[in-house]
Amino acid sequence: MRQGATSFTAAAGTQRAPGRAGTLLLLPLVAWATLFVVAPAAIMLVYSFLERGTLGGVEWSTATLENYAGVGNPVYLRIVLRSILYAGITTLLCLAAGYPVAYLIGRANLRYRNLLLMAVMIPFWTSFLIRTYAWVTILKSQGFLNSSLLAFGFIQQPLEMLYTPGAVIVGLVYTFLPFMILPIFTSVEKLDGALIEAALDLGAGPVRAFSRVIVPLTSPGISAGVLLVFVPALGIYAVNDILGGGRVDMIGNIIENQIKGNARNWPFGAALGTALLFSFAVVYYFVNRRQRVAEGRA
Amino acid sequence: MSWITRLFAGWTGLVLLFFYLPIAILVLFSFNESRLNIQWTGFTFDWYVKLWRDHVLMRAVKNSLIVAAFSTAISVLLGTAGAWLLHRYRYRAAGLLETLVFLPMIVPEVILGVSLLILFVSINLQLGYSTIVISHVTFCFPFVMAAVQARLAGLDPSLEEAALDLGATPLQAFFKVLVPYLMPAIVSGALMAFTLSLDDLIVTYFTASARTATLPLVIFGRVKKGLDPSLNAISTVLIGVTVLALFVTEALRKRNA
Amino acid sequence: MRSFEWTRFLAAAAFAALVSCGGEERPATPAEEAKPESLAGGELNLFAWSEYLPQAVIDEFTAETGIQVNYEQYGSNEEMLAKLTSGAVAYDLVQPSEYTVEAMVKEGMLLPLDKAQLPNLKNIGQEYYGRVHDPELTYSVPYMQGTVGIVANTEKIEEPVTSYAQVFTDAHKGRIVVLDDSREVVGWALASVGVDPNDITPENLEKAKPVLAKWLPLVKVYDSDSPKTALLNGDVDLGVVWSGEGAILINEGGGKFTYTLPSDGAHMFIDSLAIPKGAQNLPAAHKFIDYLLRPEVSVKISADFPYTNPNVEARKLLSEAERANAASYPPGDPKLTTFKDIGAAAADVDKLFTDMKAQSGS
Repeated sequence: MRQGATSFTAAAGTQRAPGRAGTLLLLPLVAWATLFVVAPAAIMLVYSFLERGTLGGVEWSTATLENYAGVGNPVYLRIVLRSILYAGITTLLCLAAGYPVAYLIGRANLRYRNLLLMAVMIPFWTSFLIRTYAWVTILKSQGFLNSSLLAFGFIQQPLEMLYTPGAVIVGLVYTFLPFMILPIFTSVEKLDGALIEAALDLGAGPVRAFSRVIVPLTSPGISAGVLLVFVPALGIYAVNDILGGGRVDMIGNIIENQIKGNARNWPFGAALGTALLFSFAVVYYFVNRRQRVAEGRA
Repeated sequence: MSWITRLFAGWTGLVLLFFYLPIAILVLFSFNESRLNIQWTGFTFDWYVKLWRDHVLMRAVKNSLIVAAFSTAISVLLGTAGAWLLHRYRYRAAGLLETLVFLPMIVPEVILGVSLLILFVSINLQLGYSTIVISHVTFCFPFVMAAVQARLAGLDPSLEEAALDLGATPLQAFFKVLVPYLMPAIVSGALMAFTLSLDDLIVTYFTASARTATLPLVIFGRVKKGLDPSLNAISTVLIGVTVLALFVTEALRKRNA
Repeated sequence: MRSFEWTRFLAAAAFAALVSCGGEERPATPAEEAKPESLAGGELNLFAWSEYLPQAVIDEFTAETGIQVNYEQYGSNEEMLAKLTSGAVAYDLVQPSEYTVEAMVKEGMLLPLDKAQLPNLKNIGQEYYGRVHDPELTYSVPYMQGTVGIVANTEKIEEPVTSYAQVFTDAHKGRIVVLDDSREVVGWALASVGVDPNDITPENLEKAKPVLAKWLPLVKVYDSDSPKTALLNGDVDLGVVWSGEGAILINEGGGKFTYTLPSDGAHMFIDSLAIPKGAQNLPAAHKFIDYLLRPEVSVKISADFPYTNPNVEARKLLSEAERANAASYPPGDPKLTTFKDIGAAAADVDKLFTDMKAQSGS
């Protein structure tokens, strides 16, 4: 008995138009997005056109464009570029370091897989602040790493590792690696074992098997991982503040400063945020469109 | 085990070492005599005792777990449903909706927090568990949705057709065929959501009340004084309980198998 | 895969159970136990600096008065203002710094105190009256006072460092920690060239620019939250930090740290308690302020947070060591300035600082 079975026949490359059920089921999502994404974003947008209030907040009197003029200031543009650079490096490192791990977990049998996944996640259920300060303890001049290296005679003088851009990258990779591993794992797990064996058997060598067959098959997972690392990494403020000694300001710190710091310039913070948001939205919308076309969803 | 697997296993070992080095340090220092978390001065259980009596910290842990559990549950529902519906049906505004959903990931936390606070005030919603959970879900469920979407890409529809052919209702097909297929992604997404919620600081600052203060808020408050080892202790306990629960579950499963 | 859900929820459940059992140290008065929700004595919504008020003091207040204290924390005056002005919570008590008190008074955001309910106010030293932000202590009661001064690790730094110029020399490159606070750092730069740190004009900011250009590349760490960490770790040897941090360094650093106020002039900050407009429980707020003004309570605060205690009666109860701490109670007659509210100019100060920080090549 195929009750309404046709509603589930969607061959790859085609989708059904949503019936009443389809639209209704989507309603919670739409409602959530409208209320808790659009509304706050609208508030931010409106604020970006106002003038700052005396005690922070905004003046509801005049509208102005000067906040956006401020956004174009070379000082801030330089910081935006720096944020993009660090986020990009972090994403690449996470991809390189995380892919093998995700692959291993995805191909492991069920019991090991569970254990490995938990092993990956458990460190991240400790407080982020405490973990990051633990890195301070490790990287400082009298810290664990330096002491070990000195003890083994690898170095004569303590290395200056803490409060450097390198320390920030270490901290960022540490923070975001699980968010690359998990999505890729879901793609790997789906791979047909026979396919992989075939690829490896056909004498092309593992490098080509991976690059031509396996990695492309896991590209949805990779894309998801890149999204889930790069985007949040753009907005970080705490890891670089602690591990970079406050010297590696990113866009997140600047915006934070406008609202939580001395500047008390909410409209400017809102303008920066809106600019960031808008850039992301535009890029994401078009990349997403291409992806949906490729997947047959548009 | 092929040599590739061995290579990857070795690499994974290194990565896990990387993951656990700070954890080892923080567990070690939870037994440190010195308050200042800087140098090892001696072994003591004092901080664990102090932790037990620290009602503010304990309440914060409870709040964090409650909030994380609810946020994860709702995120999983919204994220999975969203991913599935967007995959199954061709909505006109699909691109717009997806962009909107992922927006909270890019919005700097400060701005998200302030905007949500203003929103809650304007709709007269009192700050508390509900406001925190709403805020957390807003930036957590995109992660679930991304994970499930990745899994859905290239889904073979004959899977479901087979189920329907064999007499299942669409609902049965969904729960008995699709959901198990999506499980790894749902679980991945849930793990990410749980982690994000447990650790969120800034957005929670703006949307929490005194009584619903979460662990990160309390910990951040104590940074000024110097992170005293009772904070290390709570992290150690949290890890310990999880590992214990894991072993118990595994043991139970093996017995039932 | 199911084992995850189980593991997670098991862990959460186990933990929640554990947590609910332990931790009930807060003594409950019989009245409180009888009425768990409608609290006898009411509630006090306290919004204060994080880690500036010992929990024990709050618990003892609740035990004595039956007033439940809802303690929310913030890390900066601006954070406090952000949440206060949103109107989300009706706070009964806030803890602004002096320039924020000034700004809030100007905006009519604070309620005048009912001194009849504050008999212990007499314990506050006379030197706290006549200040620009609140000359008669109409709106605010000093909680803790402090300064921002120079900390030196005498094991590494042999010569005395007594002025900003002596801190920021090439010899100290990469060995300095300063506060991550635009107003502070720019203020020091202005003081070092003889300009009043409160006189923020575009011309004066231009004067500060070359000073910052020289100073900032020498800085290793910017940290307003816990600058003592870098000093204790030995990653830096010099710092310009809060006096409370300095006092802790003197106490816990094994005697190698010194705290000196810069001769060019130092910032003196006064953190005060004040009642915001919209407060619901005025009697409780006054009770709490009065409670904190008791000498025996005040010393407990000083023990944990060794800033300068404005309560002269409490000072009498301090130990020798506490009073001798050069950071808590700086000797001599140093040149101190409080911060005035500079309104919109704060954004310009911040921009200058951000700009110079970025240019200092990190």
